Amino acid sequence: MLRPYTSCLVRRHNSARADTERAVISALTPRDSALHALNRLAYGPRPGDIERVAALGVMKWIDRQLKPDKIDDGLLAAREHQFTLLDYDRGKLARLYVEMQRERRDRKRDARAAMDSTVREQRGRRMASEFQELAVVRAALSERQLYEVMVDFWTNHFNVFFGKGADRFLMPDYVEHTIRPHVLGRFEDLLIATAKSPAMMFYLDNWQSVAPGSSPPNALEPSPPFPLSALRRGGHGVRRRVPTGINENYARELLELHTLGVDGGYTQEDVINVARIFTGWSIEPPRQGGDFQFHDWAHDEGEKEVLGVTFPAGHGMDEGARLLKMLANHPATMHHVSRKLCQRFVNDEPPDGCVDDAVAAWRRSGGDLREVLHAIFHGPDFWAPLNTRAKVKTPLEFVVSALRAVGADPDTTPRLAQVVARLGEPLYLHVAPDGYPEREDAWVNSGALLDRMNAGVALAAGTLPGVTVSLDSLIPATGDAEQLILQVNDKILDGTMTENTKDVIRRQTSDIGDPVAARALAVGLAIGGPEFQRQ
Amino acid sequence: MAISRRVFVKSGGLALFSLGLDPLFLERAAFASYRPLPSSTVLYRPVLVCLFQRGAVDGLNMVVPHGDPIYYRERPRIAVPEKDVVDLDGYFGLHPQLAALKPLWDNKSLAVLHAIGSPDSSRSHFDAQDYMESGTPGLKATPDGWLNRYCQHDREHEDTPFRAVAFGPQLPRILAGSAPSLAIDDLQAFGLRAPQQSGRDRLTRAFEELYAGSATGLLSSSSQEAFEAVQLLKQVNPDQYQPGNGADYPRGRFGRAMMQIAQLIKANAGLQVAFTDVTGWDTHVNQGSSEGQLAARLAEFGHALAAFAQDLGEKMRDVVVLTMSEFGRTVRENGNSGTDHGHATAMLVLGGPVNGGKVLGKWPGLDPAQRFEGRDVAVTTDFRDLFGEVLARHLGATDLSAIFPGVTPDPARFPGAVRA
Repeated sequence: MLRPYTSCLVRRHNSARADTERAVISALTPRDSALHALNRLAYGPRPGDIERVAALGVMKWIDRQLKPDKIDDGLLAAREHQFTLLDYDRGKLARLYVEMQRERRDRKRDARAAMDSTVREQRGRRMASEFQELAVVRAALSERQLYEVMVDFWTNHFNVFFGKGADRFLMPDYVEHTIRPHVLGRFEDLLIATAKSPAMMFYLDNWQSVAPGSSPPNALEPSPPFPLSALRRGGHGVRRRVPTGINENYARELLELHTLGVDGGYTQEDVINVARIFTGWSIEPPRQGGDFQFHDWAHDEGEKEVLGVTFPAGHGMDEGARLLKMLANHPATMHHVSRKLCQRFVNDEPPDGCVDDAVAAWRRSGGDLREVLHAIFHGPDFWAPLNTRAKVKTPLEFVVSALRAVGADPDTTPRLAQVVARLGEPLYLHVAPDGYPEREDAWVNSGALLDRMNAGVALAAGTLPGVTVSLDSLIPATGDAEQLILQVNDKILDGTMTENTKDVIRRQTSDIGDPVAARALAVGLAIGGPEFQRQ
Repeated sequence: MAISRRVFVKSGGLALFSLGLDPLFLERAAFASYRPLPSSTVLYRPVLVCLFQRGAVDGLNMVVPHGDPIYYRERPRIAVPEKDVVDLDGYFGLHPQLAALKPLWDNKSLAVLHAIGSPDSSRSHFDAQDYMESGTPGLKATPDGWLNRYCQHDREHEDTPFRAVAFGPQLPRILAGSAPSLAIDDLQAFGLRAPQQSGRDRLTRAFEELYAGSATGLLSSSSQEAFEAVQLLKQVNPDQYQPGNGADYPRGRFGRAMMQIAQLIKANAGLQVAFTDVTGWDTHVNQGSSEGQLAARLAEFGHALAAFAQDLGEKMRDVVVLTMSEFGRTVRENGNSGTDHGHATAMLVLGGPVNGGKVLGKWPGLDPAQRFEGRDVAVTTDFRDLFGEVLARHLGATDLSAIFPGVTPDPARFPGAVRA
């Protein structure tokens, strides 16, 4: 991968960093650098955003985005009130789910099976759809754009599949209280939060990982922490199967995906010993809140060795915390996670230089994610012309950036989330623990591209479900084709429209007498066209 | 035939039946690229259709071991009575709602694989489906599916837009990966949408010009594929389809998907691998026996398969349909007249190249001592041995270890579902 010579300079001579940075950014115009920052740190510009960011100074805007608490987000807060999901804590959601399942079963068993679904069942379904839609609405409306981008990044890094059994009621809490509070904090805290989260524990089966030969106290048969109906939808068998040994699932993914990376230098022995360390990390029954619970009786108290480090015998939950800290600060973790961040923000194939800068910041700051991001955004690779517009938008990024480009107002129905799903990214529904890929080849296929074109046309025509669009204030209807092209290029494509695209729009609108129809077609072609797919 | 399969024409992925054809004809065929060939063209284009019965179908009530008294003893309320079973070989028989498949058994184009499943013991739908689609039981981080890896491995067909198609709203795990594959929810809706045909044409043309002139990289190649597919589909004319030979598909998503797969095959559109789901098999409660919940699902399933075979007629010569499900269900019925998650299940293999009229695989029996963990039908055939055989013998895959990493491919383990 080619890397500008300057990035080597920067890493060797930190004192020269500020000067080099200015020099590198100045390769882009203030407008272009504002656009680039809005494309990567945000879900694309809204009308007027580029001018605002350029006027403020792009580095200043970036620094503000790194401190989201100081950004007023009143508009989004008001909109969030419309989501009843946020009134439900984990316990309330769990109870709703349990009762919903029972009613559904009763209804199925009833000979007169023609009964309609109950109010509770409908509420349960609405919760699920609100959960997905809320992600779209927050991404579109929040002023704390980088924060929302990072929520998406970490939710994906610590992926949980919303469709697996109890995760249907554990996951909203996971996003609200495990991911969101930590996305710009220390990696270690985020890692520990996910390790203790019921959602992750259920998803990767750790809740039923026990030391071989262990059994609960008082010789009582433990009741399964979740209703059988919840397990059935994706958990283990419906019989009360008392777990009889370790489950390696979480241990393996923790090393391979969450921390060290697949080439991080661990062995199968390490995986087994990590699993032993996490025996007893479990969940309490949902009626009691479904919270984290450590079972002494299930914990393997023997000595273990992970990555050459000894964990002496006789320890309990504390050794899991010790292990997580060790993993969070392991050089392989720094590299693996930094590379993923660079892949997200810089290029699908990130240059080594920006990864090295991020790792250095990680090391310096003890894994302060704000510092790591700061290093990436201030590095020359981030601003290299080679890397601007080098990434294809994911379906979520495409839909949200289109909404923002036309200043559209999303509603609380699940319909926009359904558009995102149709384009290939059903939110929270990636089954495998690796999360959605960051690479363009995962998103660009012929069917999905046609659907992007259709979504663009529908949005411009005001027929995309779940959203209100008014183009009048953005691009006044005009009978002047050149004026229309100028406006669409400026407002929708931020000046990136190719001559070919101009020609096509000119030709295609030439025989349309109605200026409103011509505008809809031009905007639809722009959003569905190739320029808008890139960021 | 083994040789003729290797005579591929790069652009269309066609293998011609007889050797020694006029080279000019080959050239024309290559030049014709994505244009559908006249249906009279003599060519051998093997097609594989994979159907996933999501939710874990009860293999024991789908293909009933009616010759075993343990079956009746363990299932007093849900066993299919002997008198209702459509007998196959004196020991096994089809559920009565699958009677439509009996003629295919009789003409040797239907085989049953019993006691097949995963070497992984998970009883989680999620894990087991994932493993069956990734083709790597026990390994969760495998990024792609085995059908896609087949397409990566055999790139002869790579530029045919309809080569690998999943019918459904999303691309399933089994087809995820770097080889191009389409997810089509509905053939009739594939393409640009506009109220009128003239509007559709205008949009198609406009976007085609946009992408042809302004797109780069993957956006350029994928959009080209898309417009070629749209163009080709226009000639296929999905709106006007009439199933052949009086075939009558059941109403509903599955019947429609099967009909559209048949349509693409008959259109010579380059389809090589098709996939669709059929749901509703997770029968924990009131499963029923000859009638009831499971019977209703099997009726739709069987009728759709029979209609598909009837619709394709002679074309079935080139087609293998492979059904799969993540695991089977408990031998003994549960307290709710249903069955719980088990281990091995049964799969069907259907089509011209199939070594049919047989129940294949080693039957472990239902005796508790023979069961997996004392409760479920034991797995005696690793699903990868069946899938691998179909890929090798039907589609001509040469390197199965690239498709199913971690297993040493061994034709000696092939269950014998496809004629060698």
